[in-house]
Amino acid sequence: MAVSRTVIISCAGMGSRLGLGSTKALLEIDGKPLIIRHLEMLGHESDIRVVVGYQAEAVIEVVRKYREDVLFVFNHHYRETGTGASVALAAKYANDYILSLDGDLLVHPEDMEKVLACDHEFVSGGIPGTDDLWMLQTYTENGREFVSSFSKNTGTYEWNGITQMKSRKMRNGTGHVFQLIEPYLPVPFLELRTREIDTVNDYERALAWVKNGFQ
Amino acid sequence: MSGYVFLFDLDATITRQEILPAVSRKLGVYEKMSFLTECTMRGEIPFKQSFLQRVELLKEVPVSQVRRLVGEIPVNEKLVEFMAENRERCYLVTVHLDIWIIDLVRRIGMENNLFCSKALVKNDHIQDVVSIVDKNAVMNQIRLPFVAVGDGNHDAEMIQAAEVGIGYGGVRQVAPAVLACASHVVYQEEKLAEFLERLL
Repeated sequence: MAVSRTVIISCAGMGSRLGLGSTKALLEIDGKPLIIRHLEMLGHESDIRVVVGYQAEAVIEVVRKYREDVLFVFNHHYRETGTGASVALAAKYANDYILSLDGDLLVHPEDMEKVLACDHEFVSGGIPGTDDLWMLQTYTENGREFVSSFSKNTGTYEWNGITQMKSRKMRNGTGHVFQLIEPYLPVPFLELRTREIDTVNDYERALAWVKNGFQ
Repeated sequence: MSGYVFLFDLDATITRQEILPAVSRKLGVYEKMSFLTECTMRGEIPFKQSFLQRVELLKEVPVSQVRRLVGEIPVNEKLVEFMAENRERCYLVTVHLDIWIIDLVRRIGMENNLFCSKALVKNDHIQDVVSIVDKNAVMNQIRLPFVAVGDGNHDAEMIQAAEVGIGYGGVRQVAPAVLACASHVVYQEEKLAEFLERLL
């Protein structure tokens, strides 16, 4: 893998819709916090940045028990900014590419291997399955599928928040991650199996997915 | 090139041990020193007052003896290497007394890039602390965008004012005041040195 990459895991948000009283990255799925599930799959990545905000110290403590060489980036304005702000902060002084993952996401382990093997820009999505979703509109050209826009209403796939982009393109913004990407569309599409956890229903679906061996 | 100037705390950032507790252990006043240091890290005693109390604990000890002990304290070699390679852009900013730290600072080649507190010495004993470093004054003097690296409550102001404010927790826990304002926190020396390289 020749790509020079910084992995950004955004864990600054409050996860208030879940009503569990903790930031979503610390949410345990089958006895293991989401953030640790990410880190386990990123063993060979040498530049990992975890963006913290709400319950920063608790996130730092959990991450450090697993891995000491993480750079923590603070989004002190996590209450009034979106995940795009967290990504923009962490994309500064980063490698050529950033791979951005949300801390509240579960990724199928086989698909994470596909992500890590990818050496170009991509925007990722999958089969719609969460309660509050953004969609990806795509088109195919010469056998390759590209993302042409993000939409609240229509599209083929659900946007899952995973993207790999040139880091210099991702350094400004305070809203959603897709708003950082939009000026650079079209971008190649990558289909992945994931479960995002925004609501209690999402959580139950994700738990069942893991317990069934990601089937 | 970024043009950043780099300001480093000395104690438990460049050194791999806390300076006064390490010295006091060898001089038999560790318990008292450690108590004061912990209270200060927790923000329970104003820093200036605590520092003067800690100086008081070592006032009877010959300055040369303290200086020798401080001079032996191990340092984070990768950070020292970074400062050596970028000497014209790096400064140490520390509350410690010139007369105690000068051997250590010379050892790492930073004697001309040092902002510290100063004391008057007579017959190898401290007569008076004549000035305590004013980190605000240092920041005003720098006048360029800067990166600050530190771990203690007394570093928080400098870290908050920095373009890139880094908390370093490789030696001891990063103080709450630093966590509240740092842009980055890192716990491994290699990782910190690697990140500093990117800020050049």
